[in-house]
Amino acid sequence: MNMLKVPLQIFRYKPDQPPRYDTFTVEVPDTAHVIDAIDAAWAVHDQSLTFRRACHHSSCGSCAFRINGVEKLPCVTRVTDVWDGLTPLRLEPLRNFPIVSDLVVDVSDFFQRMSAADMTITCEAEAFLPFTVDSFAVAELEPKVVELPENFSRFNRFEQCIECGICMSACPTMAADERFLGPAGLAAIYQARNKTDDPKKVAHLLGLADGEHGVWRCHSAFECTEACPQAVDPAGKIMALRRELIARRFSKLFGK
Amino acid sequence: MHDYRKVSRASRWLDVRRRKLGMWAYALNRITGIALVVYLYLHLVVLSLLLRGPGAWDSFVALARSPFYLTLDVILLAGILIHGLNGLRIALTGFGIGVGAQKALFTILMIVSAIALWVAALKIFRI
Repeated sequence: MNMLKVPLQIFRYKPDQPPRYDTFTVEVPDTAHVIDAIDAAWAVHDQSLTFRRACHHSSCGSCAFRINGVEKLPCVTRVTDVWDGLTPLRLEPLRNFPIVSDLVVDVSDFFQRMSAADMTITCEAEAFLPFTVDSFAVAELEPKVVELPENFSRFNRFEQCIECGICMSACPTMAADERFLGPAGLAAIYQARNKTDDPKKVAHLLGLADGEHGVWRCHSAFECTEACPQAVDPAGKIMALRRELIARRFSKLFGK
Repeated sequence: MHDYRKVSRASRWLDVRRRKLGMWAYALNRITGIALVVYLYLHLVVLSLLLRGPGAWDSFVALARSPFYLTLDVILLAGILIHGLNGLRIALTGFGIGVGAQKALFTILMIVSAIALWVAALKIFRI
């Protein structure tokens, strides 16, 4: 294992200061991921540096930011895969989100947008809440009922999507329409639509997709699908929704 | 809270750095689309020369045969071909056709554009 001296050029912003870039050089093993490099920058150089991280294995989606201009999960991106060995590695927050501090963006609107889609439980397995932990086969633990909060009547699950916000940052249309449901929102609508045959729910979901800030705002850059770390293929889902909407319009036109 | 969008959103549409082919298609469609709208208004202004009689129109036609104007014609045709054929890709994928092959579709349509433009340019300059 060799050690690398990696210069990091990090976007800095604090509410009472103008944005700037700071450059820190950190020493990390050649097997390190970008999140390790930024951890080192925090530990060695500046503990006011803010960034998110949790799972370290691309399942929580919280650490997403831009590395050399491209949205990635730094927890699974090796330094050697993105650093040319010469120029500083540029780290910036996701686009199309308000910045809270340094690499941390405000994702609350993103989640509210999902909630506005009124997607109820989309996985049959989750319809049986409250569930027991015995289904997870935890060794030497007595099965017990998980108590859920009173207002926990519904939640979203998009299958595969880790809600990292990468697609929302990569999408150029998000810059044109702040209320655009976005690739993640529309992919979620597609998933929810495919889980139900209830005409009321279908009409509601397709109505959202067909709205002013729905699928027709997409201009087929396909950047969301390119950037998605989980193969959700949001652009493919948007096109599938369009196809269904078009088919329904044709059927209506010919009175079927 | 700093709204980064307001700082950079104007540049987002054309920022193709380190992006994939679909983003190039997106940016090209915007540039050609705006250029074609500007051309449409210029075209209407030029047509209004007809209101000034045959003399005004004939002198413009003589000017339009100069190499500079013929080059502008070729650029205009490039815009029409790129915007039109890329629009075809968008329409097809919107119908759910060729979604998985959109990059290949774009490449093929741009090759068709280049060939058509080459043929048209030869004809335009041989007038």
